[in-house]
Parts: sequence; structure tokens; C-alpha cells
Amino acid sequence: MFKRIVVPIILLGCLLINLTGCGGAKDTIKIGLQGPMTGDYAYEGKGFQNALNMLVEQVNAAGGINGKQVELIVEDDAGDPTQSALVAQRLVDAKVVAVIGAYNSTATEPASEIYNEAGILHVTPSSTAVRLTTKGFPRFFRVCFLDDRQGLFAAKFMQEVLGAKNVGILHDNSTYAQGLAEETKHYAETLGLTVGFYDAINPDDQDFTPILTKIGAANLDAVYFTGYHSQAGLLLKQSAELGLTVKWVGGNAANNPVMVEIAGIKNAEGVFVTTEPLPKDLNYPEAQKFVADYKAKYGEEPDSVWTIMAGEAFNVIRIAMEQTKSTDPATLAEYLHTQMKNVNGLTGPILGFDEKGDRLGTIHVAYVIDATGNFVLYEKQPSP
Amino acid sequence: MQLLQQIINGVTIGSFYALVALGYTMVYGVLKLINFAHGDLFMWGAYLGLTGVSLLAGLAGAGQPWMAVPVITGVLALIALTGVLVERVAYRPLRAAGRLAPIISALGVAFILESIARNVYGARWRTYPTGVAPAGGFVLAGSVRISTMQIAVLVISFLLMAGLYLFVQRTRVGTAMRAVSLDHTVSRLMGIDVDRIIALVFVIGPGLGGIAGVVVALYYGSFDFTLGWSFGLKAFIAAILGGIGNIPGAMLGGMFLGLVETLASGYISPQWKDVIAYVILIIILIFRPTGILGERVAAKV
Repeated sequence: MFKRIVVPIILLGCLLINLTGCGGAKDTIKIGLQGPMTGDYAYEGKGFQNALNMLVEQVNAAGGINGKQVELIVEDDAGDPTQSALVAQRLVDAKVVAVIGAYNSTATEPASEIYNEAGILHVTPSSTAVRLTTKGFPRFFRVCFLDDRQGLFAAKFMQEVLGAKNVGILHDNSTYAQGLAEETKHYAETLGLTVGFYDAINPDDQDFTPILTKIGAANLDAVYFTGYHSQAGLLLKQSAELGLTVKWVGGNAANNPVMVEIAGIKNAEGVFVTTEPLPKDLNYPEAQKFVADYKAKYGEEPDSVWTIMAGEAFNVIRIAMEQTKSTDPATLAEYLHTQMKNVNGLTGPILGFDEKGDRLGTIHVAYVIDATGNFVLYEKQPSP
Repeated sequence: MQLLQQIINGVTIGSFYALVALGYTMVYGVLKLINFAHGDLFMWGAYLGLTGVSLLAGLAGAGQPWMAVPVITGVLALIALTGVLVERVAYRPLRAAGRLAPIISALGVAFILESIARNVYGARWRTYPTGVAPAGGFVLAGSVRISTMQIAVLVISFLLMAGLYLFVQRTRVGTAMRAVSLDHTVSRLMGIDVDRIIALVFVIGPGLGGIAGVVVALYYGSFDFTLGWSFGLKAFIAAILGGIGNIPGAMLGGMFLGLVETLASGYISPQWKDVIAYVILIIILIFRPTGILGERVAAKV
């Protein structure tokens, strides 16, 4: 009787333990990647995945981190906040020690709550909404730079370089774009510019001619659009077709060749974007090596700065693990907050992280789209 | 000045809504079925047009405006064929199954078509080759402009709608179609082949949707797989607003919705346009539950 009941239970228990990963996981370090593999931002999600697959392969070929192989677990959030919460829970259940992601702030926000509760180290490569790091999450970091610094840069650029006096600001009601628009408005007004137009589009729309007609009638010198590249492309095309002469400046979410493809080269020529430098314009040996390796592996250079930023997120996690000889999220977070200083990263020097988890410094620059549709560093930049 | 430009903007959007709304209205007219797959057939028109135009532009070395003609004709044929197939496979077997089952079946077809499009063409935005959509335009007065493509859109929409209206009102087949919309059984007793008429409706409705897909994609230049959902929903609302089952009603509803949305975006804010448009919609439906041009139908018990 005893045997008939207890033995199967013990056997079943062993089986369950093995299934949940206690058996297979002890030799690998599990790192999660959460990003938009489908949806509007799928292009960026693919870049995340490519960058991380390459770096994980390189690290594993060189013997892993602290002698352990790295296992990358990829989850698709489609850029959507609801799906983001679901896949975050799935990564927690998969017992990852660190997560890289998400792409857009709207998706990062709900995920960060779940990772915080689970005590997992969470590094976003690209979500720049200011409020993400104001919640006191001790293990949340970002390797990109904040919206408020980009907002200041954009306002200075429009004033000093474009000589604008009356500017417009347009966002798309997403967490990211609205945050950047508010910061830009704040700094523009502080610098003495008039914000003669401030409104939002609905990103699900295909036709923006009504709002563009309104912009055309508002006598603006420059308009700063803080939304994403698909809508930016449509805006530029329709703006040109309506004969608008206002100067367009995009935020860093517009920094993508797809914008030029959608707008058409002749409509995109002369449009500016404020952003982190493109991977190929990063003048550091680490960045150049990343770009060269990426090209060798995938046949094309990384087009998007967020691809190398995803690599940087992994890089930061790797350095922390190697320096602390640990995979404990608390130890890693402690190291990032207090000890990581002046390390050469993939995207330039990592000066350190502040108490909120934000990377110190800034690297924003202005690009202009030339007659061949390429983003080139603009010859004039505002004062630092 | 700004008002005139906004009216041009609104009429352009409205004619897209109206073209897509025709497909909803025709199917509803004869089957009392809301064909939720219609928006996705429209989206497939945009994608098949992309394949056709890319192929021709590849062969000729560059996009040319004449390419729109063979591409639109080809897409019309393919989407009409798909429409008939959808009716045969997903709707006809359920015709006797009440109202709910066919609607769910239609939603199923919509999801299937959307997923296939995403898997075949990818999730990213796709762009038509340049040179196919006619470039240039005219300055009407001051800063008010109308582009050649906008004129083309308006002409194509008007011709299709007028042609359809005359077909339904003035031909024998059109008369049969109207008879079927009133009563299937009686129509059959009068010697009308009801199944063939319904098949014809599924040629014309989706065919028009396919044309609209190519025209919309040419006009905006780029789109992604969510196109069917965003335009389809608006067009469906336009059809209800105008009076579903009524062809001039679909045109009127589309134009009305396009203009209200545009004026609300241009004079208030795009953030408020849906609120304003739907408040007006609800008010109209309270006073005219069957839509602006909808006929009073005695309730069936």
C-alpha cells in the first residue's frame, strides 16, 4: 500500500523537478530578451535579436561568463503593453536572472513592474520615457539616455542651428513620444522660444492631412515630431504633398531608414533627426568591431542605433557578472549602481549609472537626410 | 482657405471609406450578414497590388502610371475570386444557421486573411515603388492644393459608385439582386437563381474592395497589415451611418464620416476626432436607427 502510493508520487516529483528546469539549468546563465518581434516595431525587435544572438555566440565561444554558457530566451511583446505583461511573466517563470528589453516605453513600463516584483535585473536598451526610472525600482537600468536631455538638445537645435522662434511640437500619445514632447516644450519655453502649436496624432491613422493643414496655417519655423518612424514617414510625404515649407525635426524614434522609404527620398531630404549617433558613426574601437562583426554575420550593417544599444545592455550585464563573479541580481544591481565607472562600452564610455538607474552623460547629435536618402551627421550642432 | 483644404482632405478620406463601405452594404443587402472579412479582402488588394506593381516596375526598370491599370484589373479578378471562395466555404454552409454563426465565421475569415498577409508579406511597413501613383498637383487658390492622385481617387470612386448604382437599379440582374435582398424564398419561386445572385454579390463587393485596396495603397504609398482593420472598421461604421444595405447611403455615410473626422482633427485635435465623430454617429442613430438613407423595416418576430 505504502509503495503503491508513495513511490509514484516521488517519481512524479522527480519528473516535475526536471521539467521545471532544476536539472537542465544549472550549467547555463539564462538571460531574457523581450522585444517587438512582430507589429509596427518588428524591425527593431529583429535588430535586438540579431545583436544578442551574435554577442551570446561570441561570449559562449570564448568560454561563457565565469565559465558558464549563456542561454538567450527570446519573447515577443509586439510593442504592446498587454502582451508585454504576459511575456514578462513568462520570462520570470523561465527563471532568467536578467532581462534586456523592451523596445518602446509603453511596453517596458508594465514589464518593469513584473521584473521588479520578481527581483530580476532589468536593462532596457531603448525606452527613454523619463518616468520609467522614477518608481524606485532598484534593479531597473537603462543604457540609453533620457528624454529630458534629448528634449533640451532638440530645443537648442531648433533655436541655435535652425534660428527658429516659433516652433510646433507633435507627438502620438505613446508614453515615449508624449514624455519627449513635454520635456521639449518645457525646455523650449525656458529658452525663450514660442511653442505656437502643440498636439498629438493618432498613430493608428493613415491620413494626417487634417493636422498638417492646421500646421501649415500656423506660421511655424520648425516642427518637432517625437513619434515613431512609420508615422513620421507618412507625415513627411503628406506634408510635402500639401506644399508645407516648415522645417521638420524628428526625435530618435524617427531615426530609421524606413522613415525615408515611406516618405520617399525627395520628401525626406533636408529633414533633421535628433538622436544618439548611428552605429557606424560611433568613433570607438568597440563600436567599430561590433559593426564589422554584425556585417560579417548578417551581410548588412546595423541600421538602427537601438541594435547596438541592445548589445550594450548585454555588455553591461556581462561586465557586471564578470566583475562580481556572480549572477545574483541584487549583487549585479549593487555593482552597476556604485562601482561601474568609466568602462569602455560598445556605445562609448559608460560613465556610470545614477541612483535611479539612468546612464550618466549624453550623446545626442543632429542628423540630416541628404539627397540620396541617407542620414548624415549635420555640420552644425548646438552648443553643448 | 484652410477650410477649403480641409474639405478636400475630408472628401479624399471619405471616398476611401465609401468605396470600402459599398462591399459591406452589398453583402448585408442580400444576406443580412456583416461580412467582417471585407476589410481584410481590401487589405489583400493592397498587398496583391504591391506584388503586381513591384513585378511590373522590376521588369520595366521603374514605376510608370500605366502600370496601375493592369494591376487594378488583376487585383479585381483575384480578390473577386477570393470573395466567391470565402462565400462558398465559410458562409454558404451556414446560411440556414441563424445570424450569429455566420458573423463568427466572418470574423474567423478576417483573422485568417490578416494572419496569412502578415506571414507572407511580413509585419513591417511596405512601400509601393515610386512613379506609379501620378505625381504633381494643382494650386487652387493661395495655399490650397489638390494633387493629381487625389483627383484620380475622386474620379475612380465616383465612376465605380455611379456604375454600381446604375447596375443595381437599371439592369435585369440588378433587379434580381434587389429582389433577393427582399426575400430569398419568393425570389426563388419567381425563377431567380439565388445562389448565383449571391455569388455575384461576392464578386462585386470584394472586387470593389480590392480596387479600393490598390488605390488607397497608391495614394498613401505605404501601409502594413493592420490597414484592413483600421479602414474596414471605419467603412463599416460609414455603411451603418448611411443606412446599411443602401448603396447611395454607403457613399453618403463615407463622405460624412470622412468630413467630420477631418474637420474635428483640423479645428479641434486628432485626439478628439473619434469622440466627436462617434457622438454625432450616436445622435444620428438615435433619431434614425436605420441610418440616414436606411429604409424602415418592419421588425421580424
